[in-house]
Amino acid sequence: MSSSEEKLSAYLDGALPERDMREIEEALARDPVLQAELETLMAADQYAQAEFAKMLNDPVPIGLSAAINAASGAGVANDPQAPGRSRWALAAVASVCLAIGGAGGFVASLSGGDAPPPRGWLADIADYHGIYARQTRHLVEVPAAEADHIRTWLSASIGAEVPIPDLMAQNLTFQGARLVVAAGKPVAQLMYTDAGGTVVALCLIRTDTPQQGFATRSIGGWDMVTWGGTDANFVIVGPQGRSDLPSIAEAAATQV
Amino acid sequence: MSAQMKRELTTLLPRLRRFSRTLTRSAPEADDLVQEACLRALSRSNQWDASQPLDRWLFRILRNLWISELRKRGVRTGAGEVPAEESPELVSPDTGEASVAVSELHGHVAALPPELSSVLLAVSVEGYSYAEAAELFEIPVGTVMSRLHRARKALGARITQTKDMDA
Repeated sequence: MSSSEEKLSAYLDGALPERDMREIEEALARDPVLQAELETLMAADQYAQAEFAKMLNDPVPIGLSAAINAASGAGVANDPQAPGRSRWALAAVASVCLAIGGAGGFVASLSGGDAPPPRGWLADIADYHGIYARQTRHLVEVPAAEADHIRTWLSASIGAEVPIPDLMAQNLTFQGARLVVAAGKPVAQLMYTDAGGTVVALCLIRTDTPQQGFATRSIGGWDMVTWGGTDANFVIVGPQGRSDLPSIAEAAATQV
Repeated sequence: MSAQMKRELTTLLPRLRRFSRTLTRSAPEADDLVQEACLRALSRSNQWDASQPLDRWLFRILRNLWISELRKRGVRTGAGEVPAEESPELVSPDTGEASVAVSELHGHVAALPPELSSVLLAVSVEGYSYAEAAELFEIPVGTVMSRLHRARKALGARITQTKDMDA
């Protein structure tokens, strides 16, 4: 393969010096064979980008997220247990523990049973909201335009149906969604904004023991209204003092 | 720092798994590698320069862990300590069951040799410059250029071949 052929690929990436870029452009203008070659490379690149994008849709194993959540911080490097635990053996231990006891058993096994009681999922949701509600360009992982994909992807990821309630009557516009992890479990986070850009999130987590009725609480400076569905618990999260959260929750509850 | 890093790592998982799959060509190994890389990052969070993107640091850790693993396997199989770029497992398609499944799932891209698909992913999708990709994979910039072209050329040929078969 000649270096001039390779330069065509680098031209596609804009990775050549200005002089070489001009030379390629001039050659393309007079050589239809070279043009066809460039079009083939461009088609291959677009195909690759689409294939790589598809790979992001594969559901992330819960064990991976659980292992990250269960890990100690920087101090683990000083843990006498750590160096002896081989890389692939650790993964094997994780899968066995997950098979035996689910995510909770895995967390306990890695921490030797001395772990503090796990935080409730709402505390994690409050932390997430504190970070993501400040985002503008990167508010969501998948935008609202891909609503069908969001339903499929998040339903498969959390193990419960994820509806997208229409909250326009509450002056909230659906912006898109994220997949997050709370209390070691996957959680669907649907993001809405009002006309002023304030973010209100609807989160849901699969459960076998859904909450009965509505409840309100405040965690970490965020107000929440929680309720339970068939196989999931829901929470509406918004800024502290926002008085319409209960009515937003009621509107959402009628659609889930 | 640790709690925040855990959240960011969780968000990065789909992209880390994708990069890991281009390296390992095996879904189970890719997930093991991602897990190990995340645990490594958390255990060394004090070494992370927070002014730098976390994803780039993780990609580097992933790549280094995989190269280290390949070298160990080379030693275990009696090949001695070979340069990672010459390791058969890095340059030859794995014909194992798991990699076939990955290939079936993701078409022609997954069928590319790892040294081509990983560079293609880094530059064409993850936005690495040629110089940054050269640093990540520890290869000359000219090799980055060559591998990108070979990857696109091979993909182009396979796409054309598929179209001809469908016609």
